[in-house]
Amino acid sequence: MSDRCSEAGAAVRLSGLVKRFPGFELGPLDLTLEPGTVLALVGPNGAGKTTTLNCMAGLMVPDQGETEVFGAPVGPARTDYRRDVGYVGEENGFFRRWTVRRNLDYLEQFLPGWSRDRARGLADRLALPMDKPANKLSRGNRAKLALVAALAHGPRLLLLDEPTAGLDPVVRAEVLDVLWEITEDGEHAVLYSTHVLSDINRLADELVFLRDGHLVLRTGRDELSDRWRRVSFRLQDEDLRLDGVVEHRRVRAEHQIITRDAPATLQQLSELGAEAVEVARMSVDEIAVQILREGHHVARTES
Amino acid sequence: MLRALRAELVYFRPWLLGGLGIAFFVSTVLVVLTLLPSVGSDMPTFLPAMFPIIAGMVVSFIAQSYRSEEHRARLLLAGPLVPRQLAGVVVLLPVCLVGLGAAAGAVWLVVASWVTGPLESGSLTTLGVLTAQFLAYAQMGPLAQEATAARRQRRHRAAVVGWTFFVALVLFMVASQFVLGSIYGNAGLLVTVVTAMVVSAMLYPGRTDFTR
Repeated sequence: MSDRCSEAGAAVRLSGLVKRFPGFELGPLDLTLEPGTVLALVGPNGAGKTTTLNCMAGLMVPDQGETEVFGAPVGPARTDYRRDVGYVGEENGFFRRWTVRRNLDYLEQFLPGWSRDRARGLADRLALPMDKPANKLSRGNRAKLALVAALAHGPRLLLLDEPTAGLDPVVRAEVLDVLWEITEDGEHAVLYSTHVLSDINRLADELVFLRDGHLVLRTGRDELSDRWRRVSFRLQDEDLRLDGVVEHRRVRAEHQIITRDAPATLQQLSELGAEAVEVARMSVDEIAVQILREGHHVARTES
Repeated sequence: MLRALRAELVYFRPWLLGGLGIAFFVSTVLVVLTLLPSVGSDMPTFLPAMFPIIAGMVVSFIAQSYRSEEHRARLLLAGPLVPRQLAGVVVLLPVCLVGLGAAAGAVWLVVASWVTGPLESGSLTTLGVLTAQFLAYAQMGPLAQEATAARRQRRHRAAVVGWTFFVALVLFMVASQFVLGSIYGNAGLLVTVVTAMVVSAMLYPGRTDFTR
């Protein structure tokens, strides 16, 4: 085996992944991520995002199913895949009483493929205070340290667990800039979990919605924003039934709906003779909230 | 694995040095007191040398706690180590810390003998027995941690094995106290230490969650 994993295949492949905890079960989860794709795992707290990422990083052993990274099986006892993975979690195992510099120096001797220039370049770029102990860093700087540590060995797959949670807007923009540049070459794959929905617009190509451990929906970001619309109209119809509608509010003859299939809904409205039809685009944030609220219903109708 | 172990030793060096400093202070006070004619004492010469070993044991408990709190396994599993090697770090770190305490105790004993007079016969042997004793205590921490982790991760058989060995080894260690200093007592301590290390090292790679 070469020191890099097989060139062929998906960046990540999850097959029938199941992980059980008392009172919670993740999966079965099937997921494939191609190189050059940025995929956001979106879901409320406790949806299973972190568990999914931990299984992909080999920090957790699933109860069932398999995980592969660039064709190499993932698990705590496997090492072939690790060269290709950079992981940023909430906790990253740093020596908290050591300075940033010392932590990075330690990782340099320890992680194959580590580039000191890359690490220093990123640290400079992110204005990471190199001589501060890790336990004295602000939340933002801890996230930056984790990001530098995850990127300096040149992984092809980045797994990021809430990388921007709790960061101020300036730091968040910096972190997103770095991630954006990394994915520009089309060879890197990024899978990140978030409940900061505004990040989605900036970074994600595809979205996977998780709720209660189950995959609710996988869709392209553009597809999502192309098809979902908020529509208001006037129509006298006591028993109005429209396809693709996920929310419907009505005051006498005035209707306001949210549809996940705008062309079909608008066609129906036209046939029914609806008046004063107004169509408004929805932001990805709004759509995401709607999907997570409506979760199971949307999943059922999509399928 | 050795590189990871060395890094942990360097990381916990300030604690160890601090602990040894306190131990040497206490030991010095004890020796000075015994030299005072008004106090006098039949204190065995090896007794002050016990404190550096205790310091090593205490630092090994601190190290275990810090490593868990800092989620070190996450960092190490990003690199080329596998759980079997991580288990090596877990069980060897207390050996190194208590061992360094014992070495400091031995040095103390030799230096103190210049002041207090020749060592009693068997002092170094007694120091060795004490080292084994404190090492046995130090190895109970990782064993309890692995048994707890197994229970939390619903690896029921591993949890039963871990707790059974833990209780058995505590009882065995207590029994060894009655014949401490004899060949049986010393062998009992050694068996306790080695068994605790082996069981911890065997349970660790079976973990299904390395995030804690």
